[in-house]
Amino acid sequence: MSQRPGGAPSIASALLRVAIAIATLYVALGLGASYWQVVEAQRLTNDPSNPLSLAAARSAPRGRIFDVRGRVLARNVKQANGESIREYTYPVMAPVLGYKSLVFGASGLEKTYDAELAGIRQLTPGDEMLRKFRARPYDPQDLVLSIDLRLQGRATQALGGNRGAIVAIEPTTGRILALVSAPTFDANRLIDPVEGRAYLKSLSEQPASRSPLLNRATQGRFTPGSVFKIVTAIAGVGSGAIDAGTRYQEQPGEEESGFLIKGFRVRDGHHLFTGGEPLDFLQATEVSCNVWYARSGLRIGGPALLDWAGRLGFGQPIPFELPTAPSIVTRGEGPGGGFIDEVELANAAYGQGQTFATPLQMALVAATVANGGTLMRPKLVDELRGANGGVTPLGPSAMSQVLPRGSADLIRAAMVQAVEGEWGRGFAGGARIPGVTTAGKGGTAEVDDTNRPHSWFIGFAPAEAPRIAIAVLVQEGGFASERAVPIAGDLMEAYLKLPAE
Amino acid sequence: MTLGATLRRVRVRPRMRIRELVLLASVSMALVVGWASLASHVAGSLTLGRQFSHLVLYLGAVFAVHLAFVVAGRRTDQLLLPVIALLGGLSLLLMERLPQGLATQDMGGVELGLASLQLLWLGVAMLLVAAIAIGVRSDGWLRYYKYTWAAVGVGLLLLVFVLGEETNGARLSLRIGPLQGQPSELLKVILVVFLAGYLADNRTLLAQASTRFGPIKLPPVPYLLPMVAMWGIALAVVIFQRDLGAALLFFSIFLTLLYVATRRASYVVLGGLLFVGGSSVLYFVFGHVQDRVDIWIDPFVDPLDRGFQIIRALYAFGRGGIVGTGLGAGLPQVGESLAIPAVHTDFVFTALSEELGLLGGFVILGLYLVIAERGLRIAAAADDDFRALLAAGLTLVIVLQAAIIAGGNLRVFPLTGITLPFISYGGSSLLANAIVIGLLLALSDRGPERLAAPSAGRRRGFRAGMRAVGGRIEKVIS
Repeated sequence: MSQRPGGAPSIASALLRVAIAIATLYVALGLGASYWQVVEAQRLTNDPSNPLSLAAARSAPRGRIFDVRGRVLARNVKQANGESIREYTYPVMAPVLGYKSLVFGASGLEKTYDAELAGIRQLTPGDEMLRKFRARPYDPQDLVLSIDLRLQGRATQALGGNRGAIVAIEPTTGRILALVSAPTFDANRLIDPVEGRAYLKSLSEQPASRSPLLNRATQGRFTPGSVFKIVTAIAGVGSGAIDAGTRYQEQPGEEESGFLIKGFRVRDGHHLFTGGEPLDFLQATEVSCNVWYARSGLRIGGPALLDWAGRLGFGQPIPFELPTAPSIVTRGEGPGGGFIDEVELANAAYGQGQTFATPLQMALVAATVANGGTLMRPKLVDELRGANGGVTPLGPSAMSQVLPRGSADLIRAAMVQAVEGEWGRGFAGGARIPGVTTAGKGGTAEVDDTNRPHSWFIGFAPAEAPRIAIAVLVQEGGFASERAVPIAGDLMEAYLKLPAE
Repeated sequence: MTLGATLRRVRVRPRMRIRELVLLASVSMALVVGWASLASHVAGSLTLGRQFSHLVLYLGAVFAVHLAFVVAGRRTDQLLLPVIALLGGLSLLLMERLPQGLATQDMGGVELGLASLQLLWLGVAMLLVAAIAIGVRSDGWLRYYKYTWAAVGVGLLLLVFVLGEETNGARLSLRIGPLQGQPSELLKVILVVFLAGYLADNRTLLAQASTRFGPIKLPPVPYLLPMVAMWGIALAVVIFQRDLGAALLFFSIFLTLLYVATRRASYVVLGGLLFVGGSSVLYFVFGHVQDRVDIWIDPFVDPLDRGFQIIRALYAFGRGGIVGTGLGAGLPQVGESLAIPAVHTDFVFTALSEELGLLGGFVILGLYLVIAERGLRIAAAADDDFRALLAAGLTLVIVLQAAIIAGGNLRVFPLTGITLPFISYGGSSLLANAIVIGLLLALSDRGPERLAAPSAGRRRGFRAGMRAVGGRIEKVIS
C-alpha cells in the first residue's frame, strides 16, 4: 500500500515489521521450549521431588535387587487392588536397601537408584529419544549388589541385640561385602499401606541415639579411640614425621606418671609390662601406646594430621551410594579451623579428642592400608541389568592415592604385629584366623564417665593379599578385645572360608 | 443486517477449494493417528468408544464448514480453516484423556463431561466461523459504530465487575441462567474493532507530531484522549478483576496497532516505559502480581504452594523431551490429583508438549505463526485502512494471546491465566476466537462479488450461477 494522500505512513511496511517482531517472539518461545525439553530435561526428570517416579512406581514394574550370588533381596508383588508393592525378602538388608514406600517416598539404595529401578532413566541418552516407539516405554533395571548375603546375615547376627555397625570391603575394588547397622527397621512393615504410618511414628519417637532409622555405618559418628591411631600412623609415615625407628626417651617414664602437656595428663598404664626400653613404631602400635601416639601427633602437627586424614576421606561426606556423614578429626574451633591447642591435638592423635568417625570411614582406612595405600571408592552396586538383557557394569574407581606402597607396607606390618605379635595378642589376638596372617587394630573408645566405652576393631586379611577389610563397632560394648575384636575375626574367617559357588 | 438478507443480495456459485480440502484431509489423518495413540495408551487397545465418535463428529463439523464454504463460493483464505481444525482437534484429543470431571454441565438432564462440552463448544465455534465467514459481506456495521462497540465493551466489563463470580481470586465470569462466560474474551475483539475504527479515521493526525513532550513528540492531545481513555478503562477494570493476562494482551494489542497505524516507534517506546512503570507499581501494590513475578524468577522458593504449578509444568516439559511420550502416555494425573493444577485451561501447551515433545510444541507454535502470516497478509491486501487495521488487530488477538500463555508455561514470561486459542477448554474463549477467524476469513475475500452490489437481475444471476455455465460470462453480464 503506497503513501496515502495526507501524509499517513504506509501500513504494509509497518505490517512487515510487526511480522518480524512476532517471528522473533515465537523463536524466543521455541528457544525456551528447547531449553526445558532438551538442555534441562534430564535434570528435571531426575529431580527427587518429581512426582513422575512415584507415578511410574504405581503403573510400571520396578526392577529387582539381587545380592552378589543372585539371591532376590527386593521385588514387586501385585496386591489385590492391582497396585504393585515392594517386598523385602531379607530383613538384614534394610540398612542397605532402605525402603520404597508409595506414601513416604524412598530411602537407601531404593532412593539412590530410584530412576533406574523405575526404568525412567536410561544410561544411554540416545535410547531416551526412542522410548515412545518401544512396546514398553519403561525399562526397569535390576540391581546386582556386591553384598554377600551370607556375610551380611552373619554380621547382623554377630551384633545381636547391641547397637553398632559393621562394614566389610573388598580392598582392591572398594566393593562393599557387608554393611550392617543395628538396630534397624522392618522395611516391609514400613511400606505397609495400613500399618506403615503408625510404625514410622513409633520409630521416629525413639531418641536419636537409639533410632533404628539412623544408618550407623554411614551416618553415625562415634569416638574412634585407638583405631584412629592408624590414621595418625598414615599421617606420620606419609609426612615423614615418624618412621619405623621413631622412639621417645621420655615414654617409658611417662607410662606411670602420664605425659603432661600444658596441664593435661595423657594417661596410659595398660602396658607396664613393656618396661623401661622406649617403644618403636611397631611396638607402640602393637601395645597401643597412648603416650607414643600423643607425642607423634605433636611431632606431625595439626595441619599435617588434618591434611592426611582428609586424603582418607575425613572432613567431607564420602562419595557413596548411600548418604554419608562427614567424619571429623577436630571440631575446628581452633585458629584457622584447626585444633584448639596441643592438648586437643595430642588427644586426637590417639582418637580421644574432638574426633568422630563413621564405621564406613574407619573401614576405608583399613582398606587403604590393605590396598597398598590406594583408597578405592566404596560402592554397593556391581551392575544394572535391563529387562531386555542389557547389562551395565559399574566398575571400580580409585578415590585417592594416599600412600606409596612402601609406606603402606610399614603400617601393614604394624597392624599385623598388633594382632599376631606376642604383646599384641593380649589386645587383639581374638581377631586371628588360623592359617591366615591377619592385620588389625582394636580400639576402646572412652565416651564419658557414666557409659561403657565403644568397642572398635579395624583390620584386614589375609595380610599379604587382602580379600576383606573390615570395621566393627559395638556401641558401649566395653573393651575392644571383649566384643569387636572376636566379631571381626569370626567374620573375616567366615568370609575367607565361604565357598565361591 | 440479517444473514438471510445478506445471502439474498449475493449470487451463490459453488467454487471448489482444493487446497483446503487436501489440508483438511491431512489434518483428519493426523488426528485419527493421534486418536489411535491415545486409545492404545489409555484403553490399552483400539476400541471404538466415545473418543472415536467424538472425533468423527468433530471432523464432520469441520468438513461441513468446508462444504458450506464451497457452496457459498467466496474466494476466502484456504489455510485458516485447516489450521484451526488441527488446533481444535488437538484440543479435543487432550480433553478426552483428562479427567472428565474437570468440567461438567447439566444439559437438559444429560450430564456432560469435559470432552463432551469441549466438543459442543468446538461445534458451535465452527458454526460461528462458517456463519461469519460466509455471511459477513459488509464491514459497515463494525466501521461506523465504533463508539457504540466501545460502549458495549465497557458496559460488559462493568457488568462483570458488579455481577461477576470469582474463580481463583479473579472476578472473571458472568453467569446468565445456566451459562457461564468470560466477557473479557469477547472484549478483546471489541477492543480491536474500536481501535481499528478510531485509528483508521485519525491516523494521519496521530502520525503528525505536534505536541512536544520532552524529547518525545506526541499528536494533538484531543485526538489521543479517547484512545487513552479506552485503554485506561479497560486496563483498570481488568486489573481490578485481577486478570493480568488479559491486561497484558490488551496493552500489547493497543501498542502494536498504534505502531501499525502511525509507524512511530516512539509511541511503542513510550508505551513500553509506561508499562514497565505501571508494572513496577503493580508489583509493589498487589500481592498477586508480586507472587506471579516471584515464582517466575524462581519457582523453587515456594515449591509446595505458589511455585507448585509451574514446577510441575517444568517436570512435564522435561519428561516430554524431544519427541514426547506419545499422545495418551503423559502423566496428567498422579494418583487422584492433577499433576498440574488447571492443566485443561492454563497449561494445555505444557500437556501437549509433554505428549508430543519439543517437535509437537514447535508444530503448535508454527500453527499460530501460520495464522500470523495469513492474517497479516490479509491486512496487507486490504482495500482500506480500516480493514487493514482490523485484520492486523484480529490476528494479534490470537497470536499474542498464544505467545503470552505459551511463554507463561515455559517460564519465558510470568504466568498469567489466559487461554491458548482453540486448545484451552472453555466456551467463551472458543467462541471469541471463532469470531476472530470468521472475520479474518470474511476480510480475506478476493472475489469480484465482494464489491458488486447488483440490485437488478439478481434472480437471473442466481439462476445462472446455479446452472454454473461459467464464471466469465457471469462476470461480463454483471
